[in-house]
Amino acid sequence: MSALVHGAVYGAVIVTVLLTIVALSIWFERKLAGRMQSRLGPTLVGPVGLLQPIADVVKLLQKEDIVPAEADRRLFNLAPILAVFASLAAAAVVPFSPSTIAADLDVGVVYIIAMGGLTVIPTFAAGWASNNKFALLGGMRAIAQSVSYGVPLVLATLVPILLAGTMSVSGIVTWQSHHHWIAVWPIIPGLPAFFVFFLALLAESNRIPFDIPEAESELVAGVTTEYTGAKFTLFYMGEYVHTLVGSAVAAALFFGGWDGPFAPGLVWMVAKTLGLFVCVYWVRWSLLRFRADQLMELCWKRLTPLAVGLVLLAAAWVQFGPGGAR
Amino acid sequence: MGYFLDSLRAMRTTLVTAFRKPTTVEFPAVVRPRGERYRVSFALPDDENGELACIGCLACERICPSLVIKMTPTGKKESPVTGKKRQYVDTFVLDLSACIGCELCIQVCNSDAIRMTREPEVPVFSREELVLDLARLRANSHAKTMSAGKGSELQERQEPPKAEKKTAPKADAPAAPAAPAAPAEPAAGEGT
Repeated sequence: MSALVHGAVYGAVIVTVLLTIVALSIWFERKLAGRMQSRLGPTLVGPVGLLQPIADVVKLLQKEDIVPAEADRRLFNLAPILAVFASLAAAAVVPFSPSTIAADLDVGVVYIIAMGGLTVIPTFAAGWASNNKFALLGGMRAIAQSVSYGVPLVLATLVPILLAGTMSVSGIVTWQSHHHWIAVWPIIPGLPAFFVFFLALLAESNRIPFDIPEAESELVAGVTTEYTGAKFTLFYMGEYVHTLVGSAVAAALFFGGWDGPFAPGLVWMVAKTLGLFVCVYWVRWSLLRFRADQLMELCWKRLTPLAVGLVLLAAAWVQFGPGGAR
Repeated sequence: MGYFLDSLRAMRTTLVTAFRKPTTVEFPAVVRPRGERYRVSFALPDDENGELACIGCLACERICPSLVIKMTPTGKKESPVTGKKRQYVDTFVLDLSACIGCELCIQVCNSDAIRMTREPEVPVFSREELVLDLARLRANSHAKTMSAGKGSELQERQEPPKAEKKTAPKADAPAAPAAPAAPAEPAAGEGT
């Protein structure tokens, strides 16, 4: 019972904080995108445009809620809720400090990957239920994409699992904090594995350069073509939450989570998460969208062999490396 | 690999730009300096006798490609100043909102009666202010700086130089057959 209360309280706090960060991140992204393109970004709504996300959300909520006549109504309404749910669910096992964790699962990494993989289902459901060819094409692309990035994603996650010898996220962080390195120790299977994980994370959260299911220039708005107002907002919120939670997972798995000198663990974890989150934006406003076939080629021909090699390296390190063998 | 390096370069570019001062300025608050002739307006100036120079010949109304000029000529009257017979205009309306600033009306005006003014900024708060009637156009001629173009000058500049062109081929014609007869002479001629 106490575990349930603990989970509920921490879960509520973490979800609230995450959603607040997401709201602020909309402002931050627009500001950063502006500066990267030598523009100013939002400046008029509130001090330095800080209230812009509120204005955005109010605007979106005012829009008419349209359900296409031939749509699968129930699925159509369910998909955006599922999208946010699946994205938020993964946050449950991410340790933000040694004690700030909603549920410290022994198989936390598996849970994260499962919840992350679940996000493709609302995406495809939205595409299918919209009864719109562009939405359906977007949904099919999402499936094809998920099959491609899933393999390197899991393989890259295997590297810290192998090195730490545990599947609990907080266990991996604890193991890393024993070595006091900024990035996962040892660097060689660690950092390339993070690179693979980061690319797969971008693909999983449908961020540019892998926003193939949306692909505004090709598919109108992809799976969100028929969505308006609040449901559209939910889809976008889901995307941002997914990116944020993914950054937190990456910070925990590859960058030592709460571990760091001079400051409490929570500060370090939040700083690392936000740093990675900013990197996602940085990539998004710098690179162009991959074509579907280019993504497949990247994932299957480059990232998967690379990730397999890294897993073998990590295994060798555990077996033969100094102090690695258990 | 090439794509990877290009991606890194793109990311460096965006990073460097992000820490630079933005190029954008917040327009209504900050106005960048503009050329004096960035936009145009029009004026109907007076002639040397202090009367409206426009004689209502309809030349500008006819040539205007966007049909923004409308005027009603009065017919010939005796001028109260000089006593000579000339025409005036009752109304003269120029709709600046549809004007494309092509300057054709200035070029065709034989009496230098319509001129462009230098306007760095032309926006106004109501559409009516963009419709220039006779009173506004005359007021402009006193209040604003004229741009250089004048009908008479522009016409003079565009006219082919008649006298020179007619004499030039005549001078060439006798010179051409003369050249082969005396090959030594052109060299001396070029020098002079």
